[in-house]
Amino acid sequence: MSDRQSPSGRRRRVRSVWPSMVPLAVVWCLLWGEFSLFNILAGALVGAVVVIAFPMPPLHLHLRPRPVALAVLVGKFVVDVVVSSVRVAWTTLRPGASSLTNAIVRVELATPSDFVLTVVAQMTSLIPGSIVVDVHRARHTLYLHVLDVNSAEEADEFRKRVLEQEERVVAAIGGYAHDIDERSDRPVREGGTKR
Amino acid sequence: MILLISVHLLAALAAPAMALALGRKVFMALAIVPLATFVWAVLNAPGAAPVTQTVSWIPSLGTDLAFRMGALQWLLTLVVAGVGALVLFYCASYFHDDDRVGSFAATFIAFAGSMLGLVLADDLLMVYVFWEMTTVFSYLLIGYDMTKRSARLAAMQALIVTTFGGLAMLVGMLMLGHLAGTMRISKILADPPAASGLLTAAVMLVLVGALSKSAIVPFHFWLPGAMSAPTPVSAYLHAASMVKAGVYLVALLAPAFAGVPGWRAGILTLGVLTMLVGGWRSLVQCDVKLILAYGTVSQLGFLLVVLSVGTRAAALAGVALLLAHALFKSCLFLVVGIIDHNAGNRDLRTLSGLGRRSPVLFAAAAIAGASMVGFPPLLGFVAKESVLTALVDVTAGGDGTGLGPVAAWTVLVGVVVGSIITTAYTLRFLWGAFADKPGVEATDFKTPSPAFLASPVVLAVLSIGVAFFGGPLTKSLEGYTHQFPPGAHEAKLALWHGLGLPLGLSVLALVSGALMFVARRPIAHAQTKVAQPWSAQRAYLSLMHGVDRLSVEVTGFMQRGSVSAYLAVTLVVLLAFPGVAMLMAWTPDVQVHVWDTPAQAAAGLVVVLAAIMTARARRRLRAALLVGVTGYGCAVLFVLQGAPDLALTQVLVETASVIAFVLVLRRLPTYFTDRPLSAQRYVRALLGLAVGAAVAGIMIVATNARTAQPVSVGFPEASVDFGGGKNIVSVTLVDIRAWDTMGEISVLVAAATGVASLLFIGTRRSTIRRVGDLPQHHAAEPKTGGSWLSGPSTLAPEKRSIIFEVVTRLVFPAMVMVGVYLLFAGHNFTGGGFAGGIVTGLALVVRYLAGGRYELDEAAPIDAGTLLGVGLVIAAGSGLAPLAFGGAVLESYQYDVHLPLLGDHHLVTSLFFDIGVYLVVVGLILDLLRTFGSRIDRQIISEERDNDATNAEVAR
Repeated sequence: MSDRQSPSGRRRRVRSVWPSMVPLAVVWCLLWGEFSLFNILAGALVGAVVVIAFPMPPLHLHLRPRPVALAVLVGKFVVDVVVSSVRVAWTTLRPGASSLTNAIVRVELATPSDFVLTVVAQMTSLIPGSIVVDVHRARHTLYLHVLDVNSAEEADEFRKRVLEQEERVVAAIGGYAHDIDERSDRPVREGGTKR
Repeated sequence: MILLISVHLLAALAAPAMALALGRKVFMALAIVPLATFVWAVLNAPGAAPVTQTVSWIPSLGTDLAFRMGALQWLLTLVVAGVGALVLFYCASYFHDDDRVGSFAATFIAFAGSMLGLVLADDLLMVYVFWEMTTVFSYLLIGYDMTKRSARLAAMQALIVTTFGGLAMLVGMLMLGHLAGTMRISKILADPPAASGLLTAAVMLVLVGALSKSAIVPFHFWLPGAMSAPTPVSAYLHAASMVKAGVYLVALLAPAFAGVPGWRAGILTLGVLTMLVGGWRSLVQCDVKLILAYGTVSQLGFLLVVLSVGTRAAALAGVALLLAHALFKSCLFLVVGIIDHNAGNRDLRTLSGLGRRSPVLFAAAAIAGASMVGFPPLLGFVAKESVLTALVDVTAGGDGTGLGPVAAWTVLVGVVVGSIITTAYTLRFLWGAFADKPGVEATDFKTPSPAFLASPVVLAVLSIGVAFFGGPLTKSLEGYTHQFPPGAHEAKLALWHGLGLPLGLSVLALVSGALMFVARRPIAHAQTKVAQPWSAQRAYLSLMHGVDRLSVEVTGFMQRGSVSAYLAVTLVVLLAFPGVAMLMAWTPDVQVHVWDTPAQAAAGLVVVLAAIMTARARRRLRAALLVGVTGYGCAVLFVLQGAPDLALTQVLVETASVIAFVLVLRRLPTYFTDRPLSAQRYVRALLGLAVGAAVAGIMIVATNARTAQPVSVGFPEASVDFGGGKNIVSVTLVDIRAWDTMGEISVLVAAATGVASLLFIGTRRSTIRRVGDLPQHHAAEPKTGGSWLSGPSTLAPEKRSIIFEVVTRLVFPAMVMVGVYLLFAGHNFTGGGFAGGIVTGLALVVRYLAGGRYELDEAAPIDAGTLLGVGLVIAAGSGLAPLAFGGAVLESYQYDVHLPLLGDHHLVTSLFFDIGVYLVVVGLILDLLRTFGSRIDRQIISEERDNDATNAEVAR
């Protein structure tokens, strides 16, 4: 990095310390299990030291958290996890589970944001039954391995669920919300693949 | 006395710096130190009580820094310090200004200090320590001219021979100390242990050390070899001091142990033999320095004969001879040094006319030579007369020694014959060095400066002067001689012993020796005729050759290069010794407690299954991961046992090692072997099972063997009261057993260094490269979505994962926070510097995995070696810091701090120790990442590049 040496670069780095300190102080308090003044100050101090000792490129997230949307996102996510767990358990344990059909499903996300892509990918992976196997960053496309997909319709339905998930994420944290374009109605070619 | 020895060693430390400023004048400055010692010794002439000084050193071993100066020690101190000062003064003229003067002077003065310590020490182990110090320093002094192969070989030969003797002596000393119940020499001499076979063995072993140091047959050959040392070294080490160490030891122990069977028989035989062999060899030398060297061997044999007899008269005569020898022999060596320095030649066939060119030098040499042959009225004559008187007394009825007349006469005749030869080679030396030889061109000889001549002249004058002080000397040495019973005649040193057999023998020796010198040509002719089929030197060389050969053979046999063979040997030894011991210790009442909760059995089952599958795995990666499963299973067992600290550490270590495995396995074939499985694998499996069973059995037997209260019972209170923490494990590591941890992190640093340097030869530092160092970096950076990490842009697109990058960017600081939290929390909660270090290290692993080697260097642009070193320094420094406040090493202190608004806080100083541990662990993981990760990456890339180049070449 060329700005590592220049004074303006150093100043920029010092300025970038502040936004990181707050979350790190919270992490510190959670670790100690107590939000005392001492822990908050110590956490901020340790956080500052960590950020300065391990510098990383500056981050511009432009997050606008909305409490109601966030609650909807979390609530729906919990429901999804529970429902999917039961379904996966049934799918794998039911008679005839050996003739299971799975699919690789490609989902083109609407948002060009890396952050949104990551959150969606992580949440989708956390929901049992589907897991991210590859990502195409430039086209912000996820490739997901999905359990028990028997037809192109079921794949489309899954794709729709992922895109709804994305909308909820964008609504809740607002990363690049204005960038949503209408590419999601493109025809899809992938379908279920027999194993 | 401790002060004097310390001043010598401090002077040695200061000498190189002083030499930079003073050049060769540094020798004059350093000469003040032994001169002061000499003055101190003169002022402390032996009185009623010896001078003693004792400082407790290792009370639990009964070893003290005990020093004692009796009459014998007094005389030797005078010799060591006096000759030392004169030789140092002489060095200032002998050496030229060059950059090695400083190290030479330092070694020389350090040697003088060690020699002083050897003489004054009153503890057997202290004597041994100083003894070996003189060995090491003499090695450095003999090998001064390290560019000459002969000098290095001679130094090594002297080192090996005297160290061999020194080790034998150490064993003998330990046995002696055990028998006597004390290591204090004065106490052992006052109350010697009763005669027994063990005592004889102990004394004989000590004698081996003494004889090897004093170059007695069969160890004599190292001394002439050591003549490749600069001549001042020969004058001091090989005339006055070091070779006298063995003589001193014999003289010291003679009052108590002369009656031990084998003492007289052994030393008298070897001594007389040495006297004759040394003299005989001396006669054929053409190098005047070698004449003196063999003469010294001869004289050392003579000294040992006299000092081992064990009568009062012989003891007094021996000590006088020791003094006389130190004076005349060092004088002669210094004379040879001047000849060598100013004529550039030591060969008596080409030296001619030196006596006329420098009469003063010749006079000094003549006086010293006359003293050596026992010419009146010199000190050598006084000593030799006393010796002959004492030996004549022994022939007449043993004089209390129990020696028969045949033995006594044999010794006397041997000594007289030796004296005749001494006269012959002394005359030959003086003739060879100084005479005008017909037909030989006069040697070009620069007249030496007065400063150069001063030391030998002083020594020669002393050879005359001291001879007239026989009475006072006799009186001074009573403290030593009166340890022996009074003999047939009163023992005294005097110029005139009256007419009698001794005087007759002296005259006989002088006259016959002179005749031998006159007849030197026929004698030399006869000597060359007598073939020498065997010599100790040759025996030594063939022994050394045999040892070399044996080591080559053993290495070739043992180190075959097969890891499985090494492992098999190790495991078979494990079975053969601890395994068999376990079987013998196994009793039917050994109790096995199966489990506390069935959950333990479940965890155990997982571990066992994983282990079996590991053994069956054919893929390396699979085996590595399965081994990881056994580790995580152990962590579960720790949790079930109620040890979250251990479990946490185990999980972290297991994770780190699985990652290290995977990084390494990239470069290894997928399968352990591509060949068909061999039947040998059943043998291996059997061995593995047996070892597993043995280890399990050993653990069962060991835990059943407990009879005492476990040491850890007191730990809970101790960790709160003394360690100031509620986490027993952590307090144990950083406080109660901090020494162990100190040792462990040292091993960790060594292991990390070993890994880094074994895999790749080169320094660690050269491997750090930042993204900004890359030329086309900015062009490669994609602009979309900003930059989450800077390293991944250096990777090929198919190797990147945007999710991984985003998560790493967000999680990394939090991971480091967790590491720091564990470091601080460890004292009271689960955690500690070790766990914290691994978590921080894993954070770096994540950065590396997300962004490659440049990302790692961005995350930690620091040399792993620096981290390891700083960590070790902090740990050691925090351990030593209490010393400055009057505490003990690694002692910890606690402070309760009240901060307004911020609450009460408890501060324990052992936190700093833990910070050291933390840094060492982070450094270790960084080192592993750089070695297994970054450097292997680079190797892979450069191989790919080479392959591409080769393919392009082929295509063209």
